[in-house]
Amino acid sequence: MDLLDNLLLGFSTALLIENVLYCFLGVLLGTAVGVLPGIGPTATVAMLLPITFNFEPVTALIMLAGIYYGAQYGGSTTAILINLPGESSAAVTALDGHEMARQGRAGPALAAAAVGSFFAGTVATVVLAVAAPPLAGVALRFGPAEYFSLVLFGLIVSIALARGSALKALAMIALGVLLGTVGQDIYTGTPRYVFGQRELYGGIDFVSVAVGMFGIAEILRNLENERTRVSLPASVTGLWPTAEDRRRIVGPILRGTGLGAALGILPGGGHVLASFTSYAVEKRISRRQDEFGHGAIEGVAGPESANNAAAQTSFIPLLTLGLPAHPVMALMVGAFIVHGITPGPNVINDEPALFWGLIASMWIGNVLLVLLNLPLIGIWVRMLRIPYQVLFPMIILFAAVGTYSLNFNAYDVYAIAFFGLLGYVLIKCGCEPAPLLLGFVLGPLLEENLRRALIISRGDPSVFLTRPISAVLLLLAAAALVITVLPAIRERRDTVFTEEE
Amino acid sequence: MLAGGIFVVIGGAFVIGALGYDRGTALRMGPGYFPLVVGAIVVVLGLAIVIKGLIAGEVAAFGPVSWRAVAVITAAVVFFGFFIRRLGFVPTSLVTALLAALASKRVRPLVAVSVAVGLTTTATLIFVIGLQLRIPLWGL
Amino acid sequence: MRMKRRPRIIAALATVSLITACSGNDDGDGGAEGDAAGYPEQNITIVVPFSAGGPTDTVTRMIADPMAAALGGKIVVRNVEGAGGTVGAGDVARAEPDGYTVLMHHIGMSTAPALYKDLGYRPLEDFATVGLVTEVPMTVVARQDFAPATFQDLVTHVKANAGTVTLANAGIGAASHLCGLLFQAAAGVKLQEVPYQGTGPALTDLVGGQVDFMCDQTTNTSGQITAKKIKAYAVTTPQRVQSLPDVPTTAEAGMPQLAVSVWHGLYVPADTPPEIVEKLSGALKTALADQAVIDQMAKLGTAPVTAADATPDAHRAHLEEQLTTWQKIISDAGVQPS
Repeated sequence: MDLLDNLLLGFSTALLIENVLYCFLGVLLGTAVGVLPGIGPTATVAMLLPITFNFEPVTALIMLAGIYYGAQYGGSTTAILINLPGESSAAVTALDGHEMARQGRAGPALAAAAVGSFFAGTVATVVLAVAAPPLAGVALRFGPAEYFSLVLFGLIVSIALARGSALKALAMIALGVLLGTVGQDIYTGTPRYVFGQRELYGGIDFVSVAVGMFGIAEILRNLENERTRVSLPASVTGLWPTAEDRRRIVGPILRGTGLGAALGILPGGGHVLASFTSYAVEKRISRRQDEFGHGAIEGVAGPESANNAAAQTSFIPLLTLGLPAHPVMALMVGAFIVHGITPGPNVINDEPALFWGLIASMWIGNVLLVLLNLPLIGIWVRMLRIPYQVLFPMIILFAAVGTYSLNFNAYDVYAIAFFGLLGYVLIKCGCEPAPLLLGFVLGPLLEENLRRALIISRGDPSVFLTRPISAVLLLLAAAALVITVLPAIRERRDTVFTEEE
Repeated sequence: MLAGGIFVVIGGAFVIGALGYDRGTALRMGPGYFPLVVGAIVVVLGLAIVIKGLIAGEVAAFGPVSWRAVAVITAAVVFFGFFIRRLGFVPTSLVTALLAALASKRVRPLVAVSVAVGLTTTATLIFVIGLQLRIPLWGL
Repeated sequence: MRMKRRPRIIAALATVSLITACSGNDDGDGGAEGDAAGYPEQNITIVVPFSAGGPTDTVTRMIADPMAAALGGKIVVRNVEGAGGTVGAGDVARAEPDGYTVLMHHIGMSTAPALYKDLGYRPLEDFATVGLVTEVPMTVVARQDFAPATFQDLVTHVKANAGTVTLANAGIGAASHLCGLLFQAAAGVKLQEVPYQGTGPALTDLVGGQVDFMCDQTTNTSGQITAKKIKAYAVTTPQRVQSLPDVPTTAEAGMPQLAVSVWHGLYVPADTPPEIVEKLSGALKTALADQAVIDQMAKLGTAPVTAADATPDAHRAHLEEQLTTWQKIISDAGVQPS
C-alpha cells in the first residue's frame, strides 16, 4: 500500500524528537497568540520566520503550521470567555459560546470546542493524506464566477446567524459589505472613503471591527446598569459537558467536520465560510432553534469543528499546488523558498519526507492541542472570577494594544472605538453584529470576483449561469433566500391579519 | 426604527460618496459602482425597517445608557491610538487603563489607580517584554 | 489580586521571549542623536513596505544578519504594508535622519510618483540612497493550454486577439503590473488586464486556466514552470536564468525592449550624515559578498549586485533613470494616478 508507506514515512519523520518538540512549541505559541486579541498567527509566523532559517526545512514548516492551527484553536477561548473574537470563525463561536459562559457553562463550551476541533482535525488530516492531489484539482475549477456565487450563497445563509428579524440581519449584512469597500479599489487603485488618510488605503482591519462590535459594545452594555447587571456567572456549574451535552454535540461535530473539510479546500476564501455555514446548518436542522443565540452547545461544537477541519484542508492547495490560501501560508511559501525548496506541484514527489512529515505532524499537533487545552479549561474558567472592574479595563487595554500591534496603525485603534459605539447602538436597536461581520469579511471577495468575472467574460453576465458550478450555487442561494424570507413574510401577513380582525 | 434610520444615514452617505467615483457600466464596473448599489440596498432595507416599525406601531425602547461609560471608554481608546507613538507604551497604557477603569460608576479612585498600574505592568510584560512588540516603552 | 492563572501565561510567554530573544528584537526608536563615529549605538530598523514572507521581505531578512555583523550592531526587520509600499516608504521619509531607520524598497520606488497623486514624499529629495541589493528576473508565463507555442507566437496571437486575451497581474503597482505595461507597450497592443490581490491568487487562476498569461518574478513562477503547470515564454533579463535554462531571453525572442527586473535598494531619510550612509553601504557590500547570502539568493533565482552597484551613487543614478523611464511608460499606458 502506497498510502501506508507514505504515512509510515510521515510519522517516522514527524515523531523525531526535535520535530515533536517544535510541533509542541508551535501549537503552544499558536494557542498563546490566539488567546490574545490582535496579535494573530500571521504576525507570529512573520516574527519567527527568520529563526527557522537555521532549522531543517521539515522542522521549520511543522512549527509554522503548528502556530497556524494552534491559533485557530486559541482564538475560540477568548471568544467564549470574554466575547472577543480575533478571527471571523471565532465570531461565530462567540455567539453561543459566550452565552454559555454567561450561564456558567464556560467549561462545557470550551470542552465542546476542544473535542470538536480534535475530531475534525483528525478526520481532515486523513482527508489530506488520502485525497490531497485530486481535491486540489477541484479547487482549480473555481474561477471568479464560481467564487462570486459561493460568496453570495454564504452571505444569504448567514442571515441565520441572527436570532431576531431577518430583515435587520439582511440590512446588517449589506452594511458590512458596504464597510468592506473602504480602502483602495484593487482594479483602479482609486482610494474609496479614506478621507485623504493614507493609513486607510488598506481598508479597515477585521480585528478592529470584531473587537469593537463584540468586545467593546458588550462592555458598554454591561456597564449601562451596574446594579442589576449579572454579566458573569456567580457560580460555575460543572466543568465538563453533561451526558446530554455529549449526545447533542455528536451530530454537529460530524456535520461540521464534513462541511469544513470541503470548504477549506477552496483557496479563494472557502475556509472563511466554514464556521458560518456550519452554524447556519445546525440552526436550520435543530429541533431547538430557539436556543440558538442563547447558549446552544451545537452552535459551538459545529462551527469549531468546521473551522478546524477547514484550517487543515486549506493546506491542500499549498502542499499540492504551491498556492497559498492564507497570509500564513504565503509566509510558509517564503519558508520553502529560503530552504531551497521551490513551492509547487513537485514538492510531493521531490520531498516526500517533508510532505508526509508535515501531514503526520498535524495529527500529532492536534493530539498535543487537546492534551494542552483540556487541563487549561479549569484555569480559563477560573479567570471568569476576576472582578469585572479589573476584567473590563483589561479587555480594553489589551484590545487596544493588540489591535495596534497588527500594523502599528493608529487608525486601527480609532476603528475599535468607532465600531464599539456603532455596535452598541445597533445592538440596542435589535440588530446583531455577527451578520455585519460576515458581510464585512465577504464583501470585498464578492466585489472582487464579480468584477473579475465580468472582465474575463468581456462584460457578459451570463457566465454566472452558463458555468455549471456557479449556476448550482446561485440556485442554492436563491433557494436559501426563499426559505429564510418566506416564514418572515408569512408571519407578517399573520400579524397584519390579526390587526385587521 | 432608530436602526432603520441609521441604515438609511450610513447607506446614504456611502451612496453620496460613491457618486464621486467613476461608476463605469454594469458590465465594466468602475470603483463607484459596487458601493453605489450596495449603499442603495442598505438605504432600501433601512426604509423597510422604518416602515415596518411604523406599521407595527413600535415604540423606541432604548433602555438605560451609561453616558459616562460611553464617553470614557471612547476617550480611553482614542487616547491610546493618538498618543502611543508620541508618549511610548508605559504612559499611554497607564492613562488608557485608568480611563477605562473609571468607566464604572462604582469604582473607587484608589482601586482604579491600582488596576491601571497592575494592568500596565501586565501588558508591558506580555506585549513588550514577552512578545517583543516594537513599541518604545517611554516616549520622546 | 486577580491572577492565579498568570504564572502559566508568563511561562508560555517567556518561551516566546526566549525564542524571539535569539533574533534580537529590541527596539530603541528613542531619540539618541546620530553620532557617526559611534554608529551604531542602538538597534537599526529596516522597514520593509510589503508583507512578511514576500520576495522583498525574504531578501531583506537574508542580508539583515550579515549586515548587522559587519556593523557590529543589531538589525530588526519591520513590515509596514499598505498602498503599494508607499505607507512604509512615507514612514521612513519622515523618520529621524540618524541612520537607525532604513528602508528596503524595490522597483516600486521609481513607479510610485506616476501611480499615486499625493505620495507624501519625493523619492529623490526625501531619501538618501545606500546601494542596490539585487535584481530579480521576471518571466512571461501562460496557462498550460494557451495556444501560442513560442514568445513570437505569443506576440502575434495577442495582437490578433487583443479583444479576448486576458493579462493577469498581482495588483496596481506590483512588479507584474509594471512588466505587463511594458509588454503591451513593446508589442503595441492594449490588452484586458485582470488585477489580483497578490501573486498567489493570480497564479492560482493562471494554473486553473481562468486567465491567459502574466509576467512575474522567477521567485513565484519557477516552481510551477518546472512542474509544467504553466508554460514559460521568456525571461526578461539579458542573460538566461540558471534555474530555467531552456527559457529564452526576451532579447533572443526578438523583443529586447522588454527588459525589466525587480531591483531592490536600501534607503535612509535624506539628511542622514554621509559617514553613516557610507558605513551602511560598506556593510551592504560585505553582506552581498557573503557566500551564504549568495547561495540563498541563488535559490531565489537571483544574485547580489556587483560591489560597484551596491554604492549610493550607482543606486541614485539607477533610481533617476528608472523614475524617468517608468513615468513615461505609465503615462503612455494611460494609467491615471490615484
